[in-house]
Amino acid sequence: MLLENMLLNIWSFFGRLHPLTVHFPVALILFAAILELFTLKQFNSRLRPGIRLAVLFGALSAAISVVLGLILARDGDYGVQTLNIHQWSGISTAVLATAAAIILYGSGSSLGRGRIKLYRSVLFITAAGITVTGHFGASLTHGEDYLSGAFDKTKEEKQSFSKIDFASLISDTARLTPKQEMDINIQVKAIFAHNCYKCHGPEKIKGDLRLDNKKMIFRGGESGPLFVAGHPSESEIMHRLTVARDDSTAMPPKGKKIPDEDIRLIGLWIQKGAPWPDQSPNEKTFRIAKLEPRNPALPADVQHLVNPVDIWVNDYFNKKKIKWQKPVDDRIYLRRIFLDIIGLLPTPQELDAFEKDGDPAKRSAWVRQLLNRNDDYAANWFTFWNDALRNDYTGTGYITGGRSDISDWLYSSLKNNKPYNDFVKQLISPDKQSKGFIEGIKWRGVVNASQRTEIQAAQNVSQVFLGLNLKCASCHNSFINEWKLEDAYALADVFSDTSLEINRCDKPTGKYTNARMLWPQLGTIDSSKNHIEKQKQLAALMVRPEDGRLYRTIVNRIWAQLMGRGMVEPLDMMDNEPWSQDLLDWLAYNFTTQGHYDLKELIYTIATSKTYQLPSSGLANPLMLTAQDFRFAGMLRRRMTAEQFSDAVGNVVWPIFADSMVRYKPLFKIKKTDEPFVNRASLVQNNTFLTALGRPNRETVSTSRESQANLLQALELTNGTRFIDALKKGSERWTAKYPRNEELIKAIYTKSLLRLPEQDELKIAMKVFSESSRTEATEDLLWAIVLLPEFQLIY
Amino acid sequence: MKNEWSRRGFLKNTSGAMLATMAAGAPLTQLFSSCNSRKIKSTADTVILLWMAGGMPHTETFDPKAYMPFSTGMESNSVLSTFKSLPTAIDGVHFSEGLQSIGKIMDRGTVIRSYKAADMGFILHSRHQYHWHTCYQPPQSVMAPHIGAWIAKELGPLNPVIPAFIDIGQRFTLGEGEELKAFHTAGFLGNEYGPFLIADPSSGLESVRPPAGMSAQRFERRNQLYEELIKKSPLGEYGSDYQKESLKRSMEQAYMLLRSPEAEAFDLSREPKEVYDVYNTGRFGLGCLMARRLTEKGARFISVTTEYEPFKGWDTHDNGHTRITDMKKQIDGPIAQLIKDLERTGRLDRTIVILASEFSRDMMVEGRPGKKVQEQVNQPDIIKDIKFYGMHRHFTDGCSMLMFGGGIKKGYVHGKTADERPCKTVEKPIIIDQVHQSIYHALGIADDTHYVIEKRPFYTTPDGLGKAEKDLFI
Repeated sequence: MLLENMLLNIWSFFGRLHPLTVHFPVALILFAAILELFTLKQFNSRLRPGIRLAVLFGALSAAISVVLGLILARDGDYGVQTLNIHQWSGISTAVLATAAAIILYGSGSSLGRGRIKLYRSVLFITAAGITVTGHFGASLTHGEDYLSGAFDKTKEEKQSFSKIDFASLISDTARLTPKQEMDINIQVKAIFAHNCYKCHGPEKIKGDLRLDNKKMIFRGGESGPLFVAGHPSESEIMHRLTVARDDSTAMPPKGKKIPDEDIRLIGLWIQKGAPWPDQSPNEKTFRIAKLEPRNPALPADVQHLVNPVDIWVNDYFNKKKIKWQKPVDDRIYLRRIFLDIIGLLPTPQELDAFEKDGDPAKRSAWVRQLLNRNDDYAANWFTFWNDALRNDYTGTGYITGGRSDISDWLYSSLKNNKPYNDFVKQLISPDKQSKGFIEGIKWRGVVNASQRTEIQAAQNVSQVFLGLNLKCASCHNSFINEWKLEDAYALADVFSDTSLEINRCDKPTGKYTNARMLWPQLGTIDSSKNHIEKQKQLAALMVRPEDGRLYRTIVNRIWAQLMGRGMVEPLDMMDNEPWSQDLLDWLAYNFTTQGHYDLKELIYTIATSKTYQLPSSGLANPLMLTAQDFRFAGMLRRRMTAEQFSDAVGNVVWPIFADSMVRYKPLFKIKKTDEPFVNRASLVQNNTFLTALGRPNRETVSTSRESQANLLQALELTNGTRFIDALKKGSERWTAKYPRNEELIKAIYTKSLLRLPEQDELKIAMKVFSESSRTEATEDLLWAIVLLPEFQLIY
Repeated sequence: MKNEWSRRGFLKNTSGAMLATMAAGAPLTQLFSSCNSRKIKSTADTVILLWMAGGMPHTETFDPKAYMPFSTGMESNSVLSTFKSLPTAIDGVHFSEGLQSIGKIMDRGTVIRSYKAADMGFILHSRHQYHWHTCYQPPQSVMAPHIGAWIAKELGPLNPVIPAFIDIGQRFTLGEGEELKAFHTAGFLGNEYGPFLIADPSSGLESVRPPAGMSAQRFERRNQLYEELIKKSPLGEYGSDYQKESLKRSMEQAYMLLRSPEAEAFDLSREPKEVYDVYNTGRFGLGCLMARRLTEKGARFISVTTEYEPFKGWDTHDNGHTRITDMKKQIDGPIAQLIKDLERTGRLDRTIVILASEFSRDMMVEGRPGKKVQEQVNQPDIIKDIKFYGMHRHFTDGCSMLMFGGGIKKGYVHGKTADERPCKTVEKPIIIDQVHQSIYHALGIADDTHYVIEKRPFYTTPDGLGKAEKDLFI
């Protein structure tokens, strides 16, 4: 064992002599070639004996260098492409040099004219070859941009990661707060990730040191511990980062020094005791949610509650000492389920029928009825899925055929309530109809390695279906979660026929990986197959019931749509802790086993719960939405989407979008009596009105929308022509229908807000009618009402 | 009721300060963990970007080479410039014929002759424009903000009633409109910082006045009705939440803008006829006039474009010589007048004006020399028809830019291109990262400005590596 080790060490010692020995053939052969130029006229000049020696030793040392070089290549961390060129040009050069020597020495001192010519040609080619070889060798040692780097001003300084207010911390002798510890720790990780992982990470462990996880960092490397907590000046790492750049112990050994402020930050981190807070019991840096599904047993104490959602929320309320409040009244409930399930306001007639319905289980019955309005349901949820799957009728990519529309597939999948496992399968292993999601958007020209369509596919699949951010890991090992560069490429490889060369920060590394699912315990993918087959395999693995992650993610998304906030937030970071792990796990587990992957059933369970019927509450600040100490006490108020608002205005006032703007037409146009037909806004191509109200342009996947108003939006609502035109036409219709003002005002209130105006409101409205013409007054009243938060919010 | 009116009156009288407070209180600005604390001294408050959409050839404009007049049967490869060169206000510096007005004011600014556009493997105008305006090459995994949105976010409006980011002259209903939309956005910074779009400057006023046909009196009454109804609405019982508050606040802001005297800036008819006529060379010229008027009222970032439409404007795939003669007529007078007007009112010192294009053109080389990309234009070796006389291919290796005011050197030439084909950059190359950082530098925005989005730092220029080109500054 020991002997073997020693042999290995001797071996690598020889390898490291290569950079030394190569200088001999370079100098000798180039020298010989230059001298040769002086003898062109007179071959047997006085220089000849010197040249002969130079060629002989040049050839010899070239051969030795080749051997040593081959040894070094075995254990070096070098880019494959450059290495290949260097290796083969090196070998050829050595062969040529030997040939030159043989020709020169072969026939004693009297060379024929032909042989002289041959010898000279070989020598000059050798000299050229050695220049090429030398250049690539230098690229390997010093980096490819070593020479050009001197000219490239923009890359003069390395990116700095320290964004800490030093002044306040250094003078502060007190301990860091947990928050500060976390912050400084994340910054230190970022510095390590960008500067050190290449040699001290999972792929390469130089000096027996790894800087990519806590245990390894605290263990140190060959030269002992990395640091002495509390004492930066006695710490090895500080010495190595600050010592003169030409010192053999300086780090990083190649390329630029780490920026000063980053070094100071590492110093500060050590001075403060090198905090490395654990966020979870396992030693991973980031919380990692469990993959396995879990079916927690329902608590016994159920207090007459039936719906499992309520039983779990009751359990949560008990623990948090929150009291159940009275459910909301019929009007609010009906408005909620209409907007949440089919995206439309109920009509006054529907509200009337609901209020008069004597069935004690009427709320559940009406939820069921709404879920059965298949086209209305599909048109509403189309908005959410189009955002998430980045599907639109117009947008970048279509111009050069670099994008496909999946509207038809998506709409019919929603309309027919396709089981979610099939839904996901057909997106990952698509046919013509559904391929747009995986194929992504292809721009004409060359794109950044981390943005090629295969990587886009890996990123989008993880984000949308798994609530997982692979965007960091697509460029370098992530420092926001535990995913590595190789994981991202392994997943991306599924979408490619050949294995993709791993690029770190847009630079090829010469490394490849096999196609693999993020969690190997779910099963393997056969890398030898083409992408169609691999995608089929991935799809099958992804939807296995064992993939708890997939089902927790969708359950959390649907919950957020109905409740204004997910159990886990942000929705795309499913490793975060839910406010009730039991509720999330139970819903996800039963979605697969009992629920038949049925999204409508899931919505039914949530929408019929007492929990959903609790009064809503608002947040003073949008930051609180994703706060990790969020306390659930009922749904959060949210704004209608741009599409819901447009549809509501269309029904109350007048359609905003002409038929010509509809880009997807699954519906039969049904002529109603005197009501104009309202085109569902989710089927309309994006336009300034919808954009202003928050419809994203769907260049990237988007799983939640901004719900705050802003000036540009308000301007669109104050004088935007589409909106103002609809108000004008609408007011003509309303005034024609109701000749008496009071009657008119009451009808408008009933239709838009599902209630009669209060006495005060009626008075205010009547006053407008006394000051303006009827149509103008109606127009202004309609405008004011649809802009009320009471109209625009789902509460 | 009386009280309501006096409150309105109070708001009216204190509009600026009040709105500033309201804007400052907007919760969205807290959404990201910004880490941009470093303060640097600014030399400008306002930016005007004059966008030459479609690829403005440097040898036909601000970097002319040997002139070769048209003759039937001439060799394409012999043509470097199709115009004469004429002297400018800078000794020894010539511009192409047709740009004499701008030439005369070059003692007030800098001409950059060494801008190198990214190559990106294949020319697509909108993709190169995306790169110019965001500093990121599409596609990106998060939505990259337009430079105007970054500035709106970092500095906010200069005058609270004028939107911070105004974009004049581009319609999005033309070819590649979707690609153009992809970068006319605030991206992850949020719609609040997105562009206020004015497609046609001559009808710009419509965007900021009460709806057509609505009297001022009725506009007031409508707004009053809204305020009163909000107060009575039972949703008020639910207490304050950010959605409700932001709705109310934004509606008030829109109302303030529409009734504010500053809205006049959008009204070009208020300009004296002789001034209007100098600017009125078409939509671009009027856009320059609107930019000047907006600058006077406190705009922050204004972009005026010659408008991109495939095969129109600067996108000369044929008849280059003839069409560029027309383009010069559109831009020469208005730009010179804009600079002179800004100087006359003393605003040039704190306003940085940039003229740029996504790339240049050449008669022979597509892309960059030695790294040719697929040709998109058929150019015969021998020219028999004047329609082939012009720079019709897309050239990325040497482009011209102009910069004026806001701390930029006066009468300075930066960089150089070769005098023979390929007329590529040979001295002091400058890339988009440096251009953006130079603009940020003038505005006092630190070069490592970034936001953490999806827990990743997203910088104004990729990885925060870009540096301002200090040579451009006084």
